Amino acid sequence: MKYELVAGFETHIELATNTKIFCSCTTEFGGEPNTHCCPVCIGLPGTLPKLNKKVVEYAIKAGLATNCEIAEISKMDRKNYCYPDLPKAYQISQYDMPLCQNGYVELSSGKKIRLNRIHIEEDAGKLIHRKGDTLVDYNRGGVPLIEIVSEPDIRSVDEAKEYVEKLQLIMRYIGISDCKMQEGSMRCDVNISVRPVGSEVYGTRTEIKNMNSITFIAKAMEYEFERQVDLIESGGKVIQETLRYDDVTNTTSSMRGKEDAHDYRYFREPDLVTINVPKEQVEKIKKSLPEFPTQKLKRYVEEYDIPNTDAQLLTKYRKIAEYFEEAIDGIKTPKTASNFIIGQIFRKLENEAEKEEFNIKVSAKSLNELIKLLDSGKIKMNLAKSTLDKMLETGKNVYELISESDMGGIDDNTLLELCNQAIQQNPNAVNDFKNGKVKAVKAMVGFVMKNSRGKADAVLAEQKLIELMQ
Amino acid sequence: MVTHEEVQKLAILAKLFVADEELDKLTKDMEEIISFADTINNASVEETNFDNINGLSNVFREDVVIPSFSREDILKNAPDNDEGCFLVKKRG
Repeated sequence: MKYELVAGFETHIELATNTKIFCSCTTEFGGEPNTHCCPVCIGLPGTLPKLNKKVVEYAIKAGLATNCEIAEISKMDRKNYCYPDLPKAYQISQYDMPLCQNGYVELSSGKKIRLNRIHIEEDAGKLIHRKGDTLVDYNRGGVPLIEIVSEPDIRSVDEAKEYVEKLQLIMRYIGISDCKMQEGSMRCDVNISVRPVGSEVYGTRTEIKNMNSITFIAKAMEYEFERQVDLIESGGKVIQETLRYDDVTNTTSSMRGKEDAHDYRYFREPDLVTINVPKEQVEKIKKSLPEFPTQKLKRYVEEYDIPNTDAQLLTKYRKIAEYFEEAIDGIKTPKTASNFIIGQIFRKLENEAEKEEFNIKVSAKSLNELIKLLDSGKIKMNLAKSTLDKMLETGKNVYELISESDMGGIDDNTLLELCNQAIQQNPNAVNDFKNGKVKAVKAMVGFVMKNSRGKADAVLAEQKLIELMQ
Repeated sequence: MVTHEEVQKLAILAKLFVADEELDKLTKDMEEIISFADTINNASVEETNFDNINGLSNVFREDVVIPSFSREDILKNAPDNDEGCFLVKKRG
């Protein structure tokens, strides 16, 4: 029998606010243990939480960016469980009146992964387990989170990967989180079940907790899918349980302990008042949102005639997209800018983190000037390319590197002269060419380019050289 | 009706130890608490807006950092600490 995968995601994202959700301690990552704490975030009796305005604003942005309805009235609730990472023995979260509901994330296939809700809550502290005891650091305790809960609409590992990447992209674009999975500012719980293809009923699901890498998510899902199918095929039954994924052995194992008692006894947080979001505020936030990556992608392909794969690279990080848009201001050939960025500028950036930072020596304005010279025919593509490389090395602008006299290319007589020189001074290459080594002409084109200081047209030079040698 | 088992379950959730001889009394107490809640449930509330019972909404704080407490102060009430952290013993 053939089985299909059914998966839903619960994604926790730390919001990039300056302060924690209910107190004014910093949310900065790292720091010596328990140095970002106060009586509120370590849950001392008698303290009162006060909600950070930015948290509500950021969560609304997240909701709008994922097509959610924003609740006019929502409230905070206590989720009770006893575990040392939670100093109050309850987490302040949202239960039956979340801030955002009924959204979706659209995949490149056009399929919509529906979102049940997005709510705000506080993060827990960090536990360091040792032999016999546990150390607790509450720096992370009280850092604001949004939890994005999807419907079980995901049907393959590829869809899961795209869903997580899309969320990451959207949240970074709207600037509410850096979504660094390695640092834990984005974490996923995955609910997985299997069912025979064509079946309408869901199978029993398991939940894999706290995954902090897309690669691990994919591996864990593949493993868990196989495990459940094997179990059913051999006459067994999937038990509803919480699992932990071990990336060393690439297996999942049952988690015991805090998840044993799935009885959170939610009730309204009496120390916090209702959150009331007027429609006007939602409209105002909506207007402040940037153009989303999917819209940009569509526009780049349709308006600028940029290939889809290139447009995807340009829109992956907001800084690159903004750079590109500034660089093509008033330019006839946006595709040239795209080629320069993807071909030459990306070579300077070693990894994804560097692409995201996009710290390069050439400003968008400088690139714009270079392309304008190219567009107007004042310089040729070869010269433009080599100049861009120099600009990337030195940080100088195009006018510091190319003088007026270098612009405008060279006339036919000069080209002829340079080609004749190339033939006279490279007898070996001429011989090679005459003996059938067609590639030998490239060395001579290089000679012409060098002696014309990049002004010659390489294609014309090659034609002329072949003509002269034949 | 509240059962002994329900009281024991609540005790486990709250990480409390309840001896068998205490169960009768606690079960009776719990029943009284719940019947009090039932009295409230029976009250007519159709006219009341429970979403905003204290008439307050949107009490917010600006997102401005205030220096945290010193670690010494933070750990002052901890039963035990080590390496700048709260120290918790493993439970059975």
